[in-house]
Amino acid sequence: MTTISEPRAATALPPAPRRSPAGAVLALLWAGAAAVLALWWFGTGSVAGTAGRLTGAGRIAGLLCGYSCAVLVALMARVPLLEERVGSDRVARWHARAGRYTVCLLLAHVVLVVAGYAAQFHASLVDEALSVVLDYPEMLKASLGTAVLLAVGIVSARAVRRRVSHEFWYYVHLGTYAAVFLTFWHQLALGADFVGNAAARAAWYALYLGVAALVLWFRVLVPVRLNLRHRLRVESVHREAPGVYSVVVRGRGLGRLGARPGQFFRWRFLAPGLRWTSSPYSLSAAPRQDRMRITVKALGGHSAAVALLRPGTRVWAEGPYGALTADRGEGRKALLLAGGVGITPLRALFETLPGDVTLVYRARAAEDLALGGELEALARWRGPEARVLYALDGPHGERPSLGTESLRRAVPDLAERDVYLCGPRSFAEDLYVSLRAAGVPDRRIHHESFEL
Amino acid sequence: MHALRKDRPLRRIVLASAATVSGMVLLLALKPQGAQSVAGATAPAPSVSSAPSAPSTGGTGASASPGTGARTVTGGEVQTRWGPVQVRVTVAGGKVTEVTAVEYPTGNPRDQQINSYALPRLRTEALAAQSADIDTVSGATYTSDGYKQSLQSALDSAGL
Repeated sequence: MTTISEPRAATALPPAPRRSPAGAVLALLWAGAAAVLALWWFGTGSVAGTAGRLTGAGRIAGLLCGYSCAVLVALMARVPLLEERVGSDRVARWHARAGRYTVCLLLAHVVLVVAGYAAQFHASLVDEALSVVLDYPEMLKASLGTAVLLAVGIVSARAVRRRVSHEFWYYVHLGTYAAVFLTFWHQLALGADFVGNAAARAAWYALYLGVAALVLWFRVLVPVRLNLRHRLRVESVHREAPGVYSVVVRGRGLGRLGARPGQFFRWRFLAPGLRWTSSPYSLSAAPRQDRMRITVKALGGHSAAVALLRPGTRVWAEGPYGALTADRGEGRKALLLAGGVGITPLRALFETLPGDVTLVYRARAAEDLALGGELEALARWRGPEARVLYALDGPHGERPSLGTESLRRAVPDLAERDVYLCGPRSFAEDLYVSLRAAGVPDRRIHHESFEL
Repeated sequence: MHALRKDRPLRRIVLASAATVSGMVLLLALKPQGAQSVAGATAPAPSVSSAPSAPSTGGTGASASPGTGARTVTGGEVQTRWGPVQVRVTVAGGKVTEVTAVEYPTGNPRDQQINSYALPRLRTEALAAQSADIDTVSGATYTSDGYKQSLQSALDSAGL
């Protein structure tokens, strides 16, 4: 076991439950959409004939699409309010969902506007499309941007995403910034709601410049400052279980990062083959003044190469992110449910959550229990209010039951506990059903998952 | 909804599409359909800039051909969202015999496309109606509005 697992005062974090701002953020985003519709409503006199209806619908789709492009970028701008309070995983799911919707709006906008103009000018769809692209101001740029946005949409579709590498998906995705920039100008030059309306133009500029400022600040300047300040390097790599490795990272003044147990960073190891990818890995121990530790399961590609990292390798980190933290809890009793390598953030929480904490650790076999020795040591040190239970496969490979009854038997006061859940999607979904059946309300089931 | 609740993507797609389509249809249906509407509330109110002194360029009888008593009158220049619109009418024997748009938006290709079909239709309508009480051409609301106002000011000046 590693040397940095010595326990820290468990009462360091007083429970101070904070409500998630997710509802308020969503309300704000919907209000923005309503404002965009109002812009159309008050800027439009009458809708005449088929052509007018087609063009009108196309304009509504276009306005909403322009708005949602800004929202999509803002959601991924790594704003602390979203990353640490709403939760990175949740925001990523919003982004994915809104992204699919935006691609549909984009297609609707293109088809409806071209069809509307064609009907108006009694031209064929092809002629009208060509004329729109070639003759109208700013439309060449916008068409290029549209092509990029559609490519991003295709690459992100679940079926395609599974077949392409993470790097390919990521770098195509970066094209979104260029696409949003390219399509911005036709909105102002041709958008009937902006041409005669200086206030609307100003609001649109404010929206896009505001989002650009968020991206520049939180995705560029904040990480640069973090890495210049803390100078992170790999200190050591340890094997925890078959295919599971811990990486200890050393840096200066890590206390100032404000990282809390249960959170993660996006890590980029400046080593051959790893340099171009940044991956989210949770801290598997409460951060110390000069060291942090992550634990990684070698699933292939990036995570497998982590096992071969040399001490001294420079590290580029962004974070802390994630909302699976102690302040989500409402009471002084917690239940941690870990599936496989999902143990990592829960191991850090097991060290620091105040009060009565029970950890249930699901793994196939005893040798797959990463960090098991540490957990035992922590439990002994914390005394009777901390327990570790294991759910392992039986001698003939039969899976242990994690149904409502067995959970209740293992943890009789289940319904009074805050539940922190981390593991593969199917594991988490099954447990969610059991927990609900056992009377644990939604607001006390805290979960993090990066599967969209 | 909790993130771990079993998700039904198909239902969500159907719901989102239905909500979007019906929302759009509703918005479009609630707007006045077609003809006689005035430009949108946020549009700069079209103003007849030189209405009373309309015969500024043409002047009453400026190009009157003595034999027929035909004369041309130019209406006021009306500012629309897309640019100024100005109309000149030819009057002979108390009847409007010709309507010409002397000024209309040409700022971008869309304007040109609109004008190429909207202006002839407005002219035909005006000649048939012998008044400025004509239908808005769909897709060319602002130009139509400006056209009608300039036409009205020309007719007023001509005493029709």
